[in-house]
Amino acid sequence: MAEPVVLLTMGDDPRLLDHPAAWGVRALDCYDLSQAELEQAAAVLVGMHADQRHLAGMRPVLETFVASGGRLVVCGQVAIPFLAGLCRFCPLVDYHLEDLEVHAVRAHPVWAGVKTEDLTLRRGVAGFYGRGWHQPPPGAVVINGLGPRRLPVDFVYRMGAGEVLVHGGNDLWSSDEEGSTSARLVPQLLEWAAP
Amino acid sequence: MGLVTGGASYHERTLADSPFSERITRGLYLPALAMGDLDGLDVVVVSDRQHPGVLVRHAPALLGVAERGDTLVVLGENRAQTWVPGARWEARPTNFWWWLEGLDPGIRPRNAEHPLWRTATAGDLTWHFHGVLHPPPGATPLLVAEGQGEDGVLLYEDEVSTPGRLVVTTLDPVYHHGSNFMPAATRCLDALLSWLSV
Repeated sequence: MAEPVVLLTMGDDPRLLDHPAAWGVRALDCYDLSQAELEQAAAVLVGMHADQRHLAGMRPVLETFVASGGRLVVCGQVAIPFLAGLCRFCPLVDYHLEDLEVHAVRAHPVWAGVKTEDLTLRRGVAGFYGRGWHQPPPGAVVINGLGPRRLPVDFVYRMGAGEVLVHGGNDLWSSDEEGSTSARLVPQLLEWAAP
Repeated sequence: MGLVTGGASYHERTLADSPFSERITRGLYLPALAMGDLDGLDVVVVSDRQHPGVLVRHAPALLGVAERGDTLVVLGENRAQTWVPGARWEARPTNFWWWLEGLDPGIRPRNAEHPLWRTATAGDLTWHFHGVLHPPPGATPLLVAEGQGEDGVLLYEDEVSTPGRLVVTTLDPVYHHGSNFMPAATRCLDALLSWLSV
């Protein structure tokens, strides 16, 4: 078996690869993405710095991958919807602390045991986890919401035999902090992506 | 003025955001940059955080802007030291949290009479940095990080290395503005583009 999880990179040195749970993760340059490169993959991780214009051109490759049973994790703010079910990011405007508060809407194994207050605040500062939201497609399941209106910051939806997980904020794999329940995110995300 | 982008969400957002969109006459998607795309532009701004491989491939065309006598602006996180003439890089420890800890990051303006300072304050250009630049002799430092040793430069203007002008910075305002992250980054971008539009 080759790698179960492919992390798309933008020529940088991804910190995720140093994580002890990331032994099965292979970095693939965003511009080298192709159907052949994903043949052995169970999941693809797309991060906040990805070239969404390029990914929009690769939409058939990504959709075929998911529809045939793959799992795709999309982090960041979508400016160019590069996949069925994605919409443009809606930033919060004139927001206050309560608008940045993360609330659990539905349990999900990636966030099991993670306290929402550990997502809301890092060193007492709010806003790292999410500063806006995406409109999920019909049938999506919202996992976490921001503020009193529970604006969707994390959701999943099915596509064919596969599934897409969207986190509308900084990369989930950089949202973990030692000594916080958020440290569960990376191992649980990788376990969900490639069980 | 042309803005070079790389298809990241924050590049796209900044291209579309008023008032920046009014100042930018041409958006230039770097992976597809073709011969002639940079013609006729007085100022070409390379957005921060381009893919380094793509950037190096197109570096000769970008540097051609300064070679023909116009202005090339290289924003941060673009490994300027690997392709911009005269730029040297020194990594420094990053403190993302200086503002929370009540620390002074030591960022200071230089050459107070420079036109940049008619549109910007040092506060607009102050956030965490990952390292500093050492410009070539004859360049004009505009923003520095004072340290225990030699000052590091965070923004400089170089009118000696090419027939035109190179403006090089460690700051990455497109990322921070276009991710709805930091009001200072929005002011920084506004001030830089105002100065460069004159």
